[in-house]
Amino acid sequence: MKLRKASWLLISLTLILSIFLTACTGNSAKDPEKTPGDDGKKEEEASGPQQGGDLIIGSTGSPTVFNPLYSTDTASSNIEGFIFDSLVSSDTEFNPTLSMAEDIQASDDGLTFTAKLKKGIKWHDGEEFTADDVVFTFSVPKDPDYNGERGSAFEALETVTKIDDYTVEFKLNKKDASFYPVSLSYFILPEHILKDVPVADLGEHEFNTKKPIGTGPFKFVEWKDGEYVKVEAFDDYFQGRPYLDTLTYKIVPDMDAMIAQIQAGDIHFAAGVPGTDIETVKSFPGVKVESGLALSYTYLGYNQKNDLFKDKKVRQAITHAIDREAIVSSVMNGDGKVAHVPESPLSFAYNDDVTVFGYDVDKAKALLAEAGWEDTDGDGILDKDGKKFSFTVKTNQGNKVREDIVVVLQEQLKEVGIEAKPEIVEWSAFIEQISAPNWNYDALVLGWSLSTFPDQYDIFHTSQMEKGLNFVWYSNPEADKLMEEAKQILDQDEYKAAYADIYKILAEDQPYTFLYYPNVHRVMPANLEGYVFHAKDDFYEINKWWLKK
Amino acid sequence: MLSYIIRRILMAIPLLLGITIVSFAIMKLAPGDPASLMMDPTISPADKERFMEKYGLNDPVHIQYFKWLGAMLQGDFGTSLIRKGVPVIEMIMNRMPNTILLMVVSTVLALLISIPFGIISATKPYSKLDYTVTVTSFLGVATPNFFLGLILIMVFAVQVNWFPTGGVATLNAPFSLWDRIHHLILPAFVLASADMAGLTRYTRSSMIEVIKQDYMRTARAKGFKQNKVIYKHGLRNGLIPVITIFGLMIPSFIGGAVIVEKIFTWPGIGLLFVDSAFQRDYPVLMGLTVISAVFVVIGNLIADILYAIFDPRIEY
Repeated sequence: MKLRKASWLLISLTLILSIFLTACTGNSAKDPEKTPGDDGKKEEEASGPQQGGDLIIGSTGSPTVFNPLYSTDTASSNIEGFIFDSLVSSDTEFNPTLSMAEDIQASDDGLTFTAKLKKGIKWHDGEEFTADDVVFTFSVPKDPDYNGERGSAFEALETVTKIDDYTVEFKLNKKDASFYPVSLSYFILPEHILKDVPVADLGEHEFNTKKPIGTGPFKFVEWKDGEYVKVEAFDDYFQGRPYLDTLTYKIVPDMDAMIAQIQAGDIHFAAGVPGTDIETVKSFPGVKVESGLALSYTYLGYNQKNDLFKDKKVRQAITHAIDREAIVSSVMNGDGKVAHVPESPLSFAYNDDVTVFGYDVDKAKALLAEAGWEDTDGDGILDKDGKKFSFTVKTNQGNKVREDIVVVLQEQLKEVGIEAKPEIVEWSAFIEQISAPNWNYDALVLGWSLSTFPDQYDIFHTSQMEKGLNFVWYSNPEADKLMEEAKQILDQDEYKAAYADIYKILAEDQPYTFLYYPNVHRVMPANLEGYVFHAKDDFYEINKWWLKK
Repeated sequence: MLSYIIRRILMAIPLLLGITIVSFAIMKLAPGDPASLMMDPTISPADKERFMEKYGLNDPVHIQYFKWLGAMLQGDFGTSLIRKGVPVIEMIMNRMPNTILLMVVSTVLALLISIPFGIISATKPYSKLDYTVTVTSFLGVATPNFFLGLILIMVFAVQVNWFPTGGVATLNAPFSLWDRIHHLILPAFVLASADMAGLTRYTRSSMIEVIKQDYMRTARAKGFKQNKVIYKHGLRNGLIPVITIFGLMIPSFIGGAVIVEKIFTWPGIGLLFVDSAFQRDYPVLMGLTVISAVFVVIGNLIADILYAIFDPRIEY
């Protein structure tokens, strides 16, 4: 009897153990047939692109509205990219390229743009695309009743007129270097469907959520709230029918669910997988990962309303005290590049010929001493006029790398006698605390995603302190003047030269400690062909993607 | 009976009103607003301001509340702030069938598993079987939903691929009943697990109580078969406290659904609740609060009615 009991126990233990063992070794037991597009057909000799296949794209964000003049989130603009098309788009180097326009000419004074449209482009409902659509689209944000959030992109636009069915003339009220690459890259809406909708109601019109019609490579099929958005290939797309039959934009609640679903083969394509998880994802069967520098940077920003950070020597000293190489190599597993300017190396305007404040504890201490900070009471923390050099560093919850960085900063700054207390705050609360009119923070770790057209005005110009995004209260009249002037420069080389000076000032003043440029990782099926890396567009030329059978 | 039901419903009105006031206050006390999602250099501060103004988010809190209440009493829950122009009621109704399906299935599952096990445990107390059931149910009570859910996904969905990782149906596949059931099994089991354990325990203790009663002995003395005594005479009495507990568990089902739906990507109101909370989509949050409060009130009412059915001594 005793023996039987023991053996019973042994058997059940073995059973329990085996469950966990399967859990550990299960990877190799995956069925390979989960690769999308592989529907069991015999291998063909074909070397060119093959038609067919469905791609399931994972996203942690839910879309809101499929109307480029009203949407403000990434998921919506991703899907808009499938459905709509624009006059101008950008290539992998962010140079503007012509899409639905055949030719765009600027007048010598830079105040008139004349766009010739390509002929024979069809809307998804079969109507033809004409100048009326362009005029309609660009008139909406200029309408006094327009209540979307995209108005500032069209500030310089004065009038838009139809010359003939395939020619449109844009008149500007001031020179604007970003008009061609940014304003003209907005997606075009169908005039024949929306012309009778009052502009005040356009943002909430059912076109935006139930039946968007565009000229893009994919037609809208359905949106199952909280589940997915499905689009299918548009046969009459003006650049030729896309190779993929359908795209399903699947919404998942968080990155953990995303990774589990990639592993299970329920998601084929995912962008934005954090660098800390990418090695795990690479080991999944049937999956490949394409990586590159993202068009963004992460920084430590100083609240310059706060007396602690008013002196630029102090800010320079803190930068000297931070070992950014170590942050990139240890916190991020080397998945990034140390930054010295607020512009990505990918941009044409990038210039790193600036003062570099490398890791140097002694210099940091010397600079702090120059600024009058000394440890008079011997407690290891610097003080001045009876005030300790102690502050909190806030960052948003949910970004593991940033959460780790604030802790590392605490350690590194302790070396020079500065106490930096980490505080992690939920996103929406974080934004309210740090931005106008509260500015309730000492220092913060945050990132900026950059536009393909470089412009620092909104973030560093003095005019943007009270209400805008210059929530660190950085102000330098010389930089202000240069940023204002740059807005008037239409020539790319001159623009680059102007910005070289701006970056020099910004690097010298250190309104932020520019921490690093992160990498972006995109997970996709191993048999996906035609994919080209574009730092800003996860789905660059998706009409040319195809699945090798 | 009818007058009791009407009285209960009337009593629920001030309760629901109180719930809306408290939820609205808490929601507004939380820092942040929907415009904080527009942290984007291409959106000007004036545009953000217009957004806040358009949806009345700059009004004093009590004005916002009365505006909302006034509209709600006329059956208008407003439109989403994030999903511009989409009526809240439409968003909730899109999700509701999924949540109801999940809750009904897991409720049935919890009852079907826990009551028989509770009874078996009670009829053979301190047996090996009883101990097994007891230990398992304690494990069930002690394991948090999200943990169990993640483990099950890791083992059964990702590693051995028996079940899907989440969602209600396979994408890009035609409708099939089996496919739907297949997707339902893990989330329903996880949602049922915690309450299942509790219900088993309550059934067991209440049945043990009942089995000792005189009328049970009398019934046996009359020569009825053991099974008949237990299931006919015993169960009816033994289930009365279980029904009370069950009524009290309905809120926990709704709360549990939030977690389970998030883990299993189940597109129900729980997932909508979480998303709306992070986006500060106030009208959707309020709509969901009202609807789940109504659910709880109705659930408790049903429990009270069942009470009367199972126990003829109770009259309302």
